[in-house]
Amino acid sequence: MSKAHLSPAQLDAFQRELDALRAEVAGDIGQRDAEHIRGVVASARAHAVAGRSLLMFGFDPLSFAAGVLALAKAKILENMEIGHNVLHGQYDWMGDPTLNSQTYEWDIVCASRDWRKTHNVEHHNHTNILGKDDDYGYGLLRMTGEQRWTWRTPLQPLSYLLLALLFQWGVAIQDLKLGRWFKGRMQPGELRQRAAPFLRKARGQLFKDYLLFPLLAFWNWPRVLAGNALANLIRNLWTNAIIFCGHFTLDAQVYSKAEVADESRGAWYLRQIQGSGNLEGGRWLHLLSGHLSHQIEHHLFPDIPAPRYTEMAPRVREICARYGVRYNSAGFWRQYLGVLWRILRHALPLDRRPAGLAPATHAEA
Amino acid sequence: MQIQGQTQPKPLARWLRSRWLHPLNDAVAWEQMLCAINPMWSRRDYPARVLAVIDETADTRSLWLQPVARWPGHRAGQHVVVEVEIDGRRLHRSFSLSSAPTADGRVRITLKRQPGARVSAWIQQLRAGDVLRLSAPQGDFLAPADDAPLLLIGAGSGITPLMAMVEELRAGGRHAPLVLVHICRNEEDFIFGARLRELASRWPAFDLRVHFSAVAGRPDAVALTRLLAGTGHCEARVCGPRALVAAVESLYRAAGVAGRVRSESYRGRVLPAADGAASAHAVHCTNTERVFTAGADTSLLQAAEAAGLQPAHGCRIGICMSCQCRKRSGSVLNLRTGERSSEPDELIQLCVSVAQSPLELAL
Ligand code: FES
Repeated sequence: MSKAHLSPAQLDAFQRELDALRAEVAGDIGQRDAEHIRGVVASARAHAVAGRSLLMFGFDPLSFAAGVLALAKAKILENMEIGHNVLHGQYDWMGDPTLNSQTYEWDIVCASRDWRKTHNVEHHNHTNILGKDDDYGYGLLRMTGEQRWTWRTPLQPLSYLLLALLFQWGVAIQDLKLGRWFKGRMQPGELRQRAAPFLRKARGQLFKDYLLFPLLAFWNWPRVLAGNALANLIRNLWTNAIIFCGHFTLDAQVYSKAEVADESRGAWYLRQIQGSGNLEGGRWLHLLSGHLSHQIEHHLFPDIPAPRYTEMAPRVREICARYGVRYNSAGFWRQYLGVLWRILRHALPLDRRPAGLAPATHAEA
Repeated sequence: MQIQGQTQPKPLARWLRSRWLHPLNDAVAWEQMLCAINPMWSRRDYPARVLAVIDETADTRSLWLQPVARWPGHRAGQHVVVEVEIDGRRLHRSFSLSSAPTADGRVRITLKRQPGARVSAWIQQLRAGDVLRLSAPQGDFLAPADDAPLLLIGAGSGITPLMAMVEELRAGGRHAPLVLVHICRNEEDFIFGARLRELASRWPAFDLRVHFSAVAGRPDAVALTRLLAGTGHCEARVCGPRALVAAVESLYRAAGVAGRVRSESYRGRVLPAADGAASAHAVHCTNTERVFTAGADTSLLQAAEAAGLQPAHGCRIGICMSCQCRKRSGSVLNLRTGERSSEPDELIQLCVSVAQSPLELAL
């Protein structure tokens, strides 16, 4: 569980090796990657059409289940392999405005622009720095002894359940910084301004899944309504599990602001590796997780087309091994149970670390 | 691709495009489905099929294209932006149309192979039946409508829009004097040479003057004056390298008739500065018409901010893409990745890029 300590010279060498790996893969990006993302877009569309048709025109429970699963898969592909990766600019080089990070709008209630800020800027820059990385516990959960324990903390298994069920809403309101609002540190005007893109986006999403498509199904509307709700629920649970496995597994490290003051680029790489965790599994796991199963590679190289992480992983692992850096990787259940254990364990006032480390709060922008 | 004269959509059209109806109104999905069946059915820009490929000289090739019927049609002297996809990347380049308008809407582009010009080389390899995409015709480099004496001056592949003009004027049954001055290396390099010689022999009003620089050297002011002898500073159209355009313009300015020249110059490729580590370069922001200088040791983001601009940015370390900006021309080095961008119209990240040559940015 301890952090690797490399000398500045070692960190520089470490950085150069990772940079060289990046340059090598970046130089090879082309046709294959373009075909991949277009194929996934086509597949997500086909699943959406199949799912919505099954829900709309079917009568039996079997086609209902198939419809829900197909629609859930469409939404998962769209959010993870397409949306998440496109919004990271992984496909900007294609020059295709429909796959461009600045213009893509994904199929969840979180507005792309808000997410680019909370995720690309804040989370990827300040990965696992307490008090700076808002994704660390989402201002809701105590995931490490360095975070403050309050009277609300014991309830966190419940809050986690709620967050998982409503995950897309959690992500959507992140940039609203409601914590600041509750503490009376935000003017109503600022909140209104922050909320506007979210409200616009959410209105459209609700309208589509809970009004338009049910209405189009006429007498079959309850089936479509329920099917859409279930598909959204499945997607929420899945994406939540994947995201939580990325940074809250047992081995994921946290950092204090003091620790990262003036960190070198090599140290930045090291933090990305030690703060992340990978999932091992088949091709389907990589695809349905948007290749966040390779969270480590993603955090090192967020702008490289995600399927490349599979090729890069063994080499990153090998580099880490040579420098004695722990490479956190295991199967899905093992990692996820670790996450759940962390949530339960830190609900109790155990493992309280000495003060001096910055608590994770919403206070900092 | 640039769509000119874009207007505000009508309320109904706007409503039909609203996100609430997504994915029912997913125009991109429909478009891609149509394209998968037949690329010519695309509604995006104007697909055009290659009809024939003709070798003009050793390194110059013409393509006859048949654009879809809704293509607006051009006038001689105009150019189109051509979109191609190479290795997964969509690239755009503009080319003059080298044919006069025809009744059946076919058009011709003529390309010279140049070292480092990937797009031209790629287009040259196309075969009959392939499809590329065109923009609407653009530009106001046109021959005057009146029947007064006209002078056309072209160098190298600068002949292409002039060829279209000559053909158009010929079809219009022109009688007023038409002088075409062409500068190229030698006979083998003379694009459309045979066709122009034939026209000159059968069309009394047409005066063809060719200058081979392999024999007579690059035309200086004296040679140029001799080439233009007797044209009396009539209305002129020049297409070629910047130096030629400048030389003709200064002759006309000296005669006090600067307004009679219209010119088009192909963008000289901006080569990366040889060893520009210490030098600063001018950065021209094309959206705001601002200019600032950027040294090779500060990022473009810092330089822009120091000059009082406020470009969008986030992480400042090259991972969030907030600072992404379209570079119209020039060469930059990405310090994070070591990659160099020197093609026009590429996306760059301001926070980790340094200028390697004068730049044009869409800021
Ligand atoms: S500011 Fe984040 S990539 Fe440039």
